[in-house]
Amino acid sequence: MVTAQLKPTKRHPLSAYIERLEAGGALLADSPQNVLEVVGILKSYGVVLDAYSRNLVYIADHQFLVLLPFFKYFNGQVSLPRLLAHWSHDRLNFEYAEYCLKAMFWHGGGRLDAYLDTAEFRQLAIAAIRARWQGNWLIQIVDRLFPDFLLEQVRVMAYYSGLGQFWRVMSDMFLALSDRYDRGEIHSIPQVVQHILDGLVAAATQPITYGVQLQGQNYPILPATAGLTFLADTAVPYVEAVFLRGTPFLGTVSYNAQAYQIPNEPALFTYGALYADPLPIGGSGIPPTLLMQDMRHFLPTYLHDFYRQSPRQADDLRVQICQSFQKSMFCVTTAAIQGLAPHPFTTTDPEARAANRAYLLPWLNRLQASQIERANTVP
Amino acid sequence: MLSVLIWGPFGGALALALLPADWSPARFRQIALAIASLMLLWTLAIAWQFDPAPATWQFSESLAWLPPLGLRYSLGLDGLSFPLICLNSLLTVIAIYSSAVERSRPRFYYLLLLLLSGSVAGAFLARDLLLFFLFYELEIVPLYFLIAIWGGQRRGYAAMKFLLYTAISGILVLASFLGVVWLTAADSFAYDPQLAQTLPLTTQLLLLLPLLVGLLIKIPIFPFHTWLPDAHVEASTPVSVLLAGVLLKLGTYGLLRFGIGLFLDAWVAIAPWLATLAAISALYGALSAIAQQDMKKVVAYSSIAHMAYILLAAAASTPLSLTAAVFQMVSHGLISALLFLLVGVVYAKTGSRDVTVLRGLLNPERGLPLVGSLTILAAMASAGIPGMVGFIAEFMVFRGSFPLFKIQTLWCMVGTGLTAVYFLLMINRVFFGRLPETLANLPRVQWQERLPAVVLTLLIVIFGVQPGWMVRWSEPQMTVLVVSPDLQASTQAVSSWKSQAVRFAAGSAPPLPVEDF
Repeated sequence: MVTAQLKPTKRHPLSAYIERLEAGGALLADSPQNVLEVVGILKSYGVVLDAYSRNLVYIADHQFLVLLPFFKYFNGQVSLPRLLAHWSHDRLNFEYAEYCLKAMFWHGGGRLDAYLDTAEFRQLAIAAIRARWQGNWLIQIVDRLFPDFLLEQVRVMAYYSGLGQFWRVMSDMFLALSDRYDRGEIHSIPQVVQHILDGLVAAATQPITYGVQLQGQNYPILPATAGLTFLADTAVPYVEAVFLRGTPFLGTVSYNAQAYQIPNEPALFTYGALYADPLPIGGSGIPPTLLMQDMRHFLPTYLHDFYRQSPRQADDLRVQICQSFQKSMFCVTTAAIQGLAPHPFTTTDPEARAANRAYLLPWLNRLQASQIERANTVP
Repeated sequence: MLSVLIWGPFGGALALALLPADWSPARFRQIALAIASLMLLWTLAIAWQFDPAPATWQFSESLAWLPPLGLRYSLGLDGLSFPLICLNSLLTVIAIYSSAVERSRPRFYYLLLLLLSGSVAGAFLARDLLLFFLFYELEIVPLYFLIAIWGGQRRGYAAMKFLLYTAISGILVLASFLGVVWLTAADSFAYDPQLAQTLPLTTQLLLLLPLLVGLLIKIPIFPFHTWLPDAHVEASTPVSVLLAGVLLKLGTYGLLRFGIGLFLDAWVAIAPWLATLAAISALYGALSAIAQQDMKKVVAYSSIAHMAYILLAAAASTPLSLTAAVFQMVSHGLISALLFLLVGVVYAKTGSRDVTVLRGLLNPERGLPLVGSLTILAAMASAGIPGMVGFIAEFMVFRGSFPLFKIQTLWCMVGTGLTAVYFLLMINRVFFGRLPETLANLPRVQWQERLPAVVLTLLIVIFGVQPGWMVRWSEPQMTVLVVSPDLQASTQAVSSWKSQAVRFAAGSAPPLPVEDF
């Protein structure tokens, strides 16, 4: 006799989360406080992503192969007051966006990464490079001597554009979530996850394209014919590279690769956002403090008031933001897990449930070292 | 003018006693703080008029008190007592300011603090042996109650131990004073450096011995030290500040004023033994500090080690070493007060002083970053890192004592090296590493709590960079204090080094010494 119930996963350290996901829940426990934190932080994250996205797209479109892009964070609006504000660090940390972009570029994955190694891309990129440096003999000679250098820069530009387009969708999605919460339509974490899942599904097949205007002519880099889409070619690689893997660099903790303190396989890396320590201890990985510093400018009033009730009030604002951010990222991860699952978790078909279980286990194995327990226990 | 420094706090204490007991603790604190602040201003006014050059008593006051006993109410200020009076006034303000606003029996608490301050001032200002003894004994009473009532779990034990040790100390000091007066057939207890000079050396030694033991208990020096760690651990932070900052200095002040001042010949005879005892105490204090788990005990044993340097400097009895002894008294007063304040903040915020429990407190977001930074700075000052007052003090002590007691000085220098060891161990355990989850929700440190530590830190740095501003008050007095012909040769050689050392600390490096000691 076949039962609809699967065997409990008691031996798995995160068995409670597996069962919660199978029951239609999220990696983050459902509570009014979690809803407030997640929606509030995604509101500020949406605002920041909007700025990051615009800047990435601007760099891709207007700083194409500019070898010394001094003013790339200015979106073409260079003025003395803005320059002074930039130098006094009264600005957003656009470097964080670039760290994410470079993590994606380094880890690769998806068809975008594969397309950048095709002959078609090479042909398109070389055409753009020639148009960009037409009449500049020095650069042309350098390009002949080192033919992969500018080509690699074009690949990076493609990632600028790809991540910019991905964040455009995510920013609008998070801001829409905040609007719905403000209208009283969002009350639970599963609703938050559903909103994100719906947004991902709606944008799943949205094409990812990229071209530059040079000498009054459009040069495609990622043409529509490449068939690159939002979900498979930017969203999934982004989650893999930024949420999960990350990079063992940029921190003050020294890792000794020869002593196998860094895994041989990048697929086994655990330096991503879901693993980051909210306390600034100089651990490696993309510095979460940069993003937290940016988000604190755009916190909704209700979330700011909530943070001010903590024992340290605003002293540890960035730590509190980081903890809320990780909670929200577990919601996004839940949406990704649900969206990529072979079968809906609501299914009663035993085979489908078994397939879902088999799909979930590797995910949860990877999350063992993450901050999932802290996100679910820290008030 | 000087009487104000004694009777001001006493009057304030009396006024507090007459106020209604149901007033809020904050109100009592404000009144006590106002009185202590006035005393500090008064001290600054005295400093404005104090002239260190004559090396004589200034602002003298004298009244017949009990003529049949030969007791006079006789006060005076010189280069030895002046820095300590300043230290007492400053640390009293800081102790009251850093006292928790909400506390039980606030009227009695602040009354005792003022009594303590007035008694200490009286002891430093007394020009009469019996008057010194009276104030020396009087300060025991408020301190006993301050530990016994507002102390930690073992406060009764610690307070009783303190009382027994210091009472014995007082008895021994009194015995010595009585002996001097009776054997010299003096008609009063007036302080006179020539008083005991007429006595044979053996008699001087017999009189010096009880005085010495009494004062060594007070400092304290190994093996008379065991009351101090208990008293510090059980005392509240403000009391620890006063205990380490000022009260221990009564012992070292007594050594210079009475040990050397009255019995110079006997002092010179036993000086090598005293220097050896200082070296043992310095090493014992440092090694014991390494073994401690309680942050307060680390600082307490550090005090034992650092007070031993003063004994070493006093044993050498050169003008440089005596100036260094005064400098070290002030230096230790500032640094130990700062360390106890900071440990108090750590304890108030984390509920623990255990170095095996605390970790990662330097965390910029959720730890105690400024407190941690100031603790590192205070530890550096205590370890004699250049640029801070501790370096100048220890440098002067060792330069002053080395010509006479090379081995003992070298051992004390090892003790200084160990200071870095035990403080770095403590700092590494408590402030570095990752903040544990149990400490991740510490309350905020308010600016009011940081202010006293910041003030002390500034003084430590200022006097470290510009030590001449402090040395000039004591230097002439310390030069005339020593008249022993045995020490003259080395005295002159060291004297030339003194000014160079001071200039060196101020930024200009002197040439290496050419004297062959």
